[in-house]
Amino acid sequence: MALREVNAKMVEATVVPGQRLYSQRGAMLAYKGEVSFTPNIQGGQGGLMSMLGRRVAGEATPLMTVEGSGTVFFGHGGHHVQVITLTGDTLYVEADRLLAFEGTLQQGTMFMGSQGGVMGMVRGQVTGQGLFTTTLKGHGAVAVMAHGGVFEIPVTPQRPVHVDPQAYVAHHGDVRNKLSSALGWREMVGRGSGEAFQLELSGNGMVYVQASEEKL
Amino acid sequence: MFRLQGSKVLAVEMTGDAVKAKNGSMVAYDGQMAFKKLSGGGEGLRGMVTRRLTGEQMTVMEVKGHGTCWFADRASEINLVGLRGDKLYVESSNLLATDAGLRTGTTFTGLRGASQGNGLFTTTVEGHGQAAIMSDGPAVVLRVSPQYPLTVDPGAYIAHQGSLRQSFQSGVTFRTFFGEGGGEAFQIRFEGDGLVYVQPSERNTIAGDV
Amino acid sequence: MSAYGAPGAAGPVVYDPMTLPVDDNVNKYTFCVELKSSQWFLQKGKMIAYYGSIDFNGIGHGRLDRLVRTSFHSPLHASDWVVAEGSGRMLLADRAFDVNSYDLDDGNLTIRSGNLLAFQPSLALKQSIVPGFLTLIGTGKFVAASNGPVVFMEPPVRVDPQALVGWADCPSPCHHYDHGYMTGVMGGLRALTGLGGASGEEHQFEFVGAGTVLLQSTETLMAEQATGAVPHEPGVPGGGGPSTGRPQQPGAPRLPGQLGDLQRRFGL
Repeated sequence: MALREVNAKMVEATVVPGQRLYSQRGAMLAYKGEVSFTPNIQGGQGGLMSMLGRRVAGEATPLMTVEGSGTVFFGHGGHHVQVITLTGDTLYVEADRLLAFEGTLQQGTMFMGSQGGVMGMVRGQVTGQGLFTTTLKGHGAVAVMAHGGVFEIPVTPQRPVHVDPQAYVAHHGDVRNKLSSALGWREMVGRGSGEAFQLELSGNGMVYVQASEEKL
Repeated sequence: MFRLQGSKVLAVEMTGDAVKAKNGSMVAYDGQMAFKKLSGGGEGLRGMVTRRLTGEQMTVMEVKGHGTCWFADRASEINLVGLRGDKLYVESSNLLATDAGLRTGTTFTGLRGASQGNGLFTTTVEGHGQAAIMSDGPAVVLRVSPQYPLTVDPGAYIAHQGSLRQSFQSGVTFRTFFGEGGGEAFQIRFEGDGLVYVQPSERNTIAGDV
Repeated sequence: MSAYGAPGAAGPVVYDPMTLPVDDNVNKYTFCVELKSSQWFLQKGKMIAYYGSIDFNGIGHGRLDRLVRTSFHSPLHASDWVVAEGSGRMLLADRAFDVNSYDLDDGNLTIRSGNLLAFQPSLALKQSIVPGFLTLIGTGKFVAASNGPVVFMEPPVRVDPQALVGWADCPSPCHHYDHGYMTGVMGGLRALTGLGGASGEEHQFEFVGAGTVLLQSTETLMAEQATGAVPHEPGVPGGGGPSTGRPQQPGAPRLPGQLGDLQRRFGL
């Protein structure tokens, strides 16, 4: 695996020729060997259209391509880092939480509340909550950042999980997601940020939640 | 039942019972939960008025149901305190959750705010059950006994329990090149018999809330 | 035996003056120093609690002049430091960052000034030639903070300036600029359109030679202090302008030791 957790706030990546890595800009802490860092004009994979799509989606986190031969250390803002390994399935994660991921993964975009219908989308746009999410698919490792570290909650058919969208980090597996506006949730749970809805995850998989309601 | 998941997340398993928690601190739940906002009035909850400076009122919610509820607040460390009929004094903003059966109230602790602008009112938690208090970094629990009084920086103090007397002392000389005071200029001295919780940080507010 | 904190199986560890560790970590974020009629230098605002009788005096305190002359060679930082003396055990911490102690045996270590919490008077503190860093020389113990655990690396290595905690033994670092990103077709396009932008990794500190480099997870949270200020003097690097030592926030002229101290105290 190309990504390894050094400690709670740092990951080490081994870069070998022919295998590129993507990382958030400015997240490199140190490197050994001959490694180059190139800003991505198209903001990752998938060409200009994909980038436009992400811009519309409010997912314009700048990425850079890391190539060469050597060892690179990544970390950002003192945030906790977690490495998630994908074996053919899809990880849904907000782009600004991506610290680094292997180039073998296919990058895409989807709207988290899509199964919630038009209203969900309108809400997402209006409140600017950026519920458009990056998807990573395939085989490889992803390093995800979270405020205060993440914990995993398994989602099983019998046990749907409700998450504060502010604390949601990522999920993978065969999971249906739905934005629902629970009565009173706004007053109760959202941290006064106009968060009128909760994220309901059902199906079979894993959701990663951070120990904080602060978005990155 | 209170359980720590890691050091920054409180998981509460509920089977029809209830907990009181700081508003906005729930990050996820499964099962069936009902939320009720408890603001002001009754049960001494007005005692949880805090942050005098900003005038912000801290409200409390009651969560009741079957399932697991996860609480966290701005990546603060969470410390569990078991109460067996005694009384816990905690800075209001550091209280995350309590068993619904515990009584919460307020005491006026006076001077502490004079130097730091915080903590004129301290929340008290009393009864039998569990409480979860927050700190910026894991709290260190220090025992105070008659032969070992303890001196604490006001910015690092988060809570205490037991029969303790507090007094304020300066007695610190800060004659510097610039004639600048500050730092440890004011300290709280605890005497008696009990426990004091301090955090490894001197911020007045938790985790970056400047 | 006290009635309180009779440790239940799952209860937290309760410390008293007998059980607090001596000159060692209580946990990752708190360090306990034992004083036996001895002295320590410490940065203001880093003491969180103590048992015993300990006095804290500003560096300018007349009685300490001799001590300051032998151990403290950074006049511009003096207002940020106090001397603790007496007998007892005191706890040091810094904004919930990781703290660690380091033992120097007739050695030298250069550290970012904002990361240094406390040191024994047997060490001499001097300003590094690199603005914003302090060098400790001699034999003794010091305590320093870092955002996340410190990672030790051997040169050759290139380090993001923000991730650098310090270095021991090796020569001072030099700047390394990656010009590749602005050359070639893509680079031209970037220069022309501004699209794509910079990778944010065009500039590093490069270490070569024998020694050890100390690295932390990058942080924008830990406020730089004005402690890197050097006298305005020909031949002194960084002595020419008010913004030296603060490459991240240029153009903010300040009096040394004043705003920096405020920033640190309020965690800005």
